[in-house]
This record gives sequence, structure tokens and C-alpha cells, in this order.
Amino acid sequence: MRTLIVWTIAGAALLMAQHVQDEDKKKRNPAIGNLAAIAAGEKAFNAGCAGCHGTGGTGGRGPNLANGRVMWHTLSDEATFNRIKEGVPSGGMPPTPGSDEKIWQLAAYVVALRAPASESPQSGDPVLGKTLFWGKAGCNECHSILGKGGKIGPDLSDAGGSRSATVIRLAIEDPGSNGSKGFEKAHIVLKDGRTLDGVLKNRNNFSLQLQDAKGDLHLLLMTSVKEMTVARNSVMPANYKSRLTAAEIDALVAYLAQQTGRKS
Amino acid sequence: MIKIVTITLLLAAAALAQVRPEDILKSPNADWLTYAGDYRGTRHSPLNQITAANAPSLVPKWVYHVPKATKLEATPLVHKGVMFVTAPNEVRALDARTGRLIWEWHDGRAKRSDVNRGAGLLGENVYVATSDCFLTALNQKTGALLWQRQYADSNKGVFCSSAPFAVKDRVLVGTAGGDTGMRGFVAAMNANTGNEMWRFYTVPAKGEKGSETWGEYVEWGGAATWLSGTYDPDLNTLYWTTGNPWPDFYDGDRKGDNLYSCSVIALDVDTGKLKWYFQFTPGDTHDWDGQSWPVLLDREVNGKARKILVHPNRNGFYYVIDRVTGEFLHATKLNDLVDWATGIDARGRPIKVRGKDPSPAGTKACPGVRGGANWMAPTFSPQTGLFYVITFEQCDIYTSSAKKPEPMAGFSGGGAGVKPRDAGTFYLRALDPATGKRIWQYPMPGPGIAWSGTVSTAGGVVFVGDDDGHLIALEAKTGKHLWHFQMGEHLFASPMTYAVDGKQFVAIASATAVFSFGLFEPAQSVPLVNTNE
Repeated sequence: MRTLIVWTIAGAALLMAQHVQDEDKKKRNPAIGNLAAIAAGEKAFNAGCAGCHGTGGTGGRGPNLANGRVMWHTLSDEATFNRIKEGVPSGGMPPTPGSDEKIWQLAAYVVALRAPASESPQSGDPVLGKTLFWGKAGCNECHSILGKGGKIGPDLSDAGGSRSATVIRLAIEDPGSNGSKGFEKAHIVLKDGRTLDGVLKNRNNFSLQLQDAKGDLHLLLMTSVKEMTVARNSVMPANYKSRLTAAEIDALVAYLAQQTGRKS
Repeated sequence: MIKIVTITLLLAAAALAQVRPEDILKSPNADWLTYAGDYRGTRHSPLNQITAANAPSLVPKWVYHVPKATKLEATPLVHKGVMFVTAPNEVRALDARTGRLIWEWHDGRAKRSDVNRGAGLLGENVYVATSDCFLTALNQKTGALLWQRQYADSNKGVFCSSAPFAVKDRVLVGTAGGDTGMRGFVAAMNANTGNEMWRFYTVPAKGEKGSETWGEYVEWGGAATWLSGTYDPDLNTLYWTTGNPWPDFYDGDRKGDNLYSCSVIALDVDTGKLKWYFQFTPGDTHDWDGQSWPVLLDREVNGKARKILVHPNRNGFYYVIDRVTGEFLHATKLNDLVDWATGIDARGRPIKVRGKDPSPAGTKACPGVRGGANWMAPTFSPQTGLFYVITFEQCDIYTSSAKKPEPMAGFSGGGAGVKPRDAGTFYLRALDPATGKRIWQYPMPGPGIAWSGTVSTAGGVVFVGDDDGHLIALEAKTGKHLWHFQMGEHLFASPMTYAVDGKQFVAIASATAVFSFGLFEPAQSVPLVNTNE
């Protein structure tokens, strides 16, 4: 019996070692993280892939690669390479012509679509974006970066390190796309007659958290609330797409992509 | 006039929202503003709603499960009804009355993930150290990142786990990693900017005074500072304990006292200058870090009123030291199982027993490697005059290896706890703090893996986590059991207490969740509120 166990363990160890070797043999994408290569991949994507997958990979006839529910991100580098090179005939995706280098660049761009914005090239002007953020666009009235700015909106100190460029862009162009929970404006009348105005951060039938314009938190039990009026929309303005030019939105995305929290 | 009054009221409201140094001086009360509750490390709360008479009516009020947590070690802080809880590279703010999440912050770029023991509060900020030693300041209300400053290099064997300690206009930070080679230090960082104000290395550099007590590997000597310190505002002095010398179990390359390992150091909080030090275990070879924080008390010792510092040490002895001068006053055996030294001499040095050092074949010595006491929080109740400390009765077999030390490679010069290992027994002991005399003890039979400590209250109750996942309440005067609650998992953190809207709570982190308890109240029906949506 003991011999059997020993052989079983030895066999399992061999299989595991083989598995590790197989993983090591798989090709790694040399272009991942290389901003120039990703930019070249973007150019190739726009020329050959955006027709189906949409500009910025946001979907069309083909799947959304930027923030949709597709499974490509679980593929290994090599499998992503093969998928692009050989296509998916059953799904109507044709093979992609070109050198291996071009395919690796395309694959790196596809990975970067979901990677933190700070790790992918941005076309916009971050200097203009900074001016807009702290000026005309008024982002700083609600959002903060490293301690400066408003307190009502999410802190953007690590926007570029924690969000992809697509997610940042969508939040600017279509803030309601992720729902308004946590950012609804509310007017509350308490049973003692006082009233409170602010943003509903979090609520259920028993308690709620309201943040007022000064940023102060009001942690209330619903037994103290007489009535409240809750807006359906997020307090984030929904008109940036019409207020700002495409280049200005690109600039804001580029500026936010640079925000990665840690400085040292 | 109205304008002036309005401005004054607004300023007053703003001040109330801030944690001022004078607020921390008054902590704990309804709030619990610093890791040990108060600067002196006594962890005694004046809250008295929960008493020895009504403690049997305690019930859980809420539970917050910290996502992906496996071993929470933090003591929560509470300020104005908001609780701050840390996990490795994470901070969460909870509604202390309901347990609901307000905000959370996570550092996705931290290069390590080790245990974390808590946060610090000052002004509008909450401070936490990431595992890779970035002191991080967040806004208390929103969790927004204000700044991060790296104060130690995790590529040089250091990691950071202790709660930042806010004193005056600065935040004191410590270091961990002493079991695999590093150089310990305490540093003061500006609370507003994070800029370093001073640094005191607990291992001198080659050629500096004290380096003659080391050997070749002095730059990797350890003496980590992995638990927060204590502070006497009247003496403007910071007290900090230090860990073991490295390699832990083999001293062939570091013959000598190995200053300032296994010590308590007294530092000028303004300059970081060493005022005095006292070494508990010179040239330690049993991994007996001196880590439990020094508790600062004013007591009569041998008929004379003294400002003292008391310390239940991992080496099995209980020490009383004059905290003004560093004069050693006396030490007594904390544990029954102490065989490496027969006592402590008049100078404070151990009277060692031959043949108790680790050896290649293994040497049995007591206490075991986890110590007669460890970092589990002690408490002192001025109401009972007793000092409460978790102690551990156990021995280990210690081995040593003369292999050439390699820093940062998991090498500690040997080991301890060769199997079969005695599981040992934990006891909560109530001592006379001035003499170390044992007044009562409460045994806690269990599997021998307890890491929870204590908090005492003016309600005459001591809360403590036991050795089998219970939070228990004992009568502070006698040790009589009053109440217990099974948390469902082992405990690695110490309890604390706070109040919101006049109601007292007792909270503790289990391995994966934060629990808060209060006195039973019948549930009230909560009518639905019209939201006019």
C-alpha cells in the first residue's frame, strides 16, 4: 500500500513538472507593456479590426474587447496570438495577415484595452487634460487627486493605475452607463424636523450614508428619517460629450491615465 | 456679529471633525483613536455602560466580513461613529453603529502582502503602512488618497506591519522582517507631507557606538520594530521595543549583547535622539523579541512614587523600569515554565543557566519560541489597580545551524518547535503592576494558537480573546467568567470598546471579519420610508 502511495505521488509530481514545463514553453508576448509596440498595434487594429470590433475595441459586429463580457482575457499570450492570426472561422472572424511581430503588437493592444490606462499609450494631450480637469471641465469640483479637489465624487488619485482608458472614457462620456447607485442626489427630512441634502453613498431599509456638499458624512438610521427624495440620476453631469470636443475628452483621458497614486 | 458667531461655529465644527493631538491624549472614550487606545498603552476605557452585572446580556450587534481576509490582526480605531479597519494593503471605513461599509481603499501596487496591525488617525487623515513600507495618508471621510511615502526598501528584507503612531505633528513608523536579516529602525514622518523628520536605527552602523556588540553581519542584525510604541507627553519621550538579533538561533557570528536588539529604547520624540535603553535579553538566541509595547504607569515602587514602564517579556520575565532614567527597578518570573535563567540580577541582566542555548541536536528550553508573553495586547485598569496580560506556558526544542548566514533567504540560524511539540496552555494573568505578583489567573485550554489580547473597562470588565475562538468577558477584580461568544475561527487580534450615541460597543476582528457586541435590546420595527423616487 505504501509503495502504491509513493508511486502515485511520484507520478503526480512528474505530471506537475511536465505541466510547468509546458507552461514555460508557451510563447510570451514580447510587446506587452511596450508602449511603442502597443501604439503600432492600435494602428493595425484601427486599420483591420475596428470595422467589426469597434474603435477602441468597444464592440460592433464583433465582440466588445474593452469592457464587454468576452473571455479573451483568460487566454494565454500564445492563444491570443493564434486567435488573431488564425481567426475564428466558426464565428465569422477571418485570419489576420502580416508578420508575427504585427500579430504580437495587435495582441498587446488588445490586452492593453483592459489594462490600467497608465500602461497603454494615450493619444490625447495630458497637459491640456490637466488644464481642463482643474479648469473649464470643472472635474475638480467633485473629484480629488492626491488631496486636492472635491470630495463628492470618487477619488481619482489612482485613476490611471486602477481603471482602463475605456472605463475612464465611458465615465466621462456616459456616466449613467454604470448606474447611478452611490452617486444619487438626495433630500432628507428627519423626524426632528432637520433637513439634509447631499449624495446617497449607501442605503438600505435600515440605515443610510449621506455625504453633504462639504464632504461631511451623515450616518443615519432609517428610524430617524421621516421622508426623502432621491434623484434617479448620478450627480455626475451627463453632458460632457457635448460640452467638450473629442480632443478635449482624449486629453482628459490622457491626464487621468497618468494618475497612479504612488509617486516614490 | 452674527457672521463672527457663524464663522466661530463653523470652525468649531471643523475642529470637532478633526483628530487633534489633545483628542488622542484623552483617548479612549467614546472614540478609540490610537492603536493601544491611549498613548500610555494601558488599553483601559472609561466606558461603563457594560458592567460585570449586565455583561451576560451582551449580543452581537453586527458583523462585517472583510473580503478575502484570512488573518486580520488589526485593532479597529473609532472616531465619531466611524470605524477604521485595516487588512494587508487595505483600509476600510465602517459605520460603527451598523457595520456597513462607507469606503474602502486598496493599494494594487504593493509589492508584498503581509499582516497588518492597524491604522493611525490625526487631523482629517487616516494613516496606514503598506506591506512594502509606503506610509499612506487617506482622507477619513472619503478614503481619498492624499500621499504615499516609501520609508523602507522591501528589497532589503524589510516589510511593514505595525499601526502608524501619531504623536504631535508626526507619525511614527516601525519595521518588520528581523527573522531573515534586515536593519531595524523607528522613523518620524511629517503628518502633513510624509517627509521624514528623523530616523533611529536599532542596530548601529559599523564603527558606531554599540557596533562592537555585534559581529560580521551587523548590517543585517535585525532588531525590528514591528509593533507600535508608547509615548509620555510630559517627558516628551517615545518608548519603543525591539526584536531579536539575526540569525535568530545561532550567535556564532554575533557574539556579544547585540545592541539594541530585544530592548526598550527611549527616544526624544522631537529629535529621535536616544535618551536611554534597557536590554531585556542580551545576545538572544531564542527569538525572544522584546516586542509587547512598554506600558507607562505611575505607581509606588518600594515605597517611592515613580514613573515606571512595565514590560511582560517574551523571555518569561516581567520587568519594572524607571521610565525617566531607564533605571532597572526589578523583574520577576511571569511564567511558571522558565528555565533558561534563574532570575534577573541587580543590573537587569539574566542569570543564565548553562546548556539552554540552541544546539544542532536540539536543546529544550522554556519559554518556547512564542514566548512567555508576546505582542497580544495587555491592559491596566486604574479601577482595580491590576495589570492584565496573556501568558503562555510552554517549552520548545531549539536547534541551531552554523551555516553561513544568508540574508533575505529565510535563514534564521536554526529553529524551534521540533515535533512532537508541547501545545502549551495560555493563561490570562492579573498582576500587581509594581511588584509583578500574580493576583489571579484564568486558564484558557485550547489548541495553543491564541494571539488575542485584552481591553479593560470602567464597567469592571476585562474582555479577552481565548485560545479557542471565543471573545470572553471576565470580572476585572476577580477573573470570574461573565460571558463568552464563539467567533467561529481563531483570533489574532485584540478587542477594543467604543460608543456611538451613548451606546457602548465591544469590537474585535476575528481571522476574517469584524464583530461588534452590545447590550441586548428588543428589535424595533423599521417602517419603509417613502423615497419619492
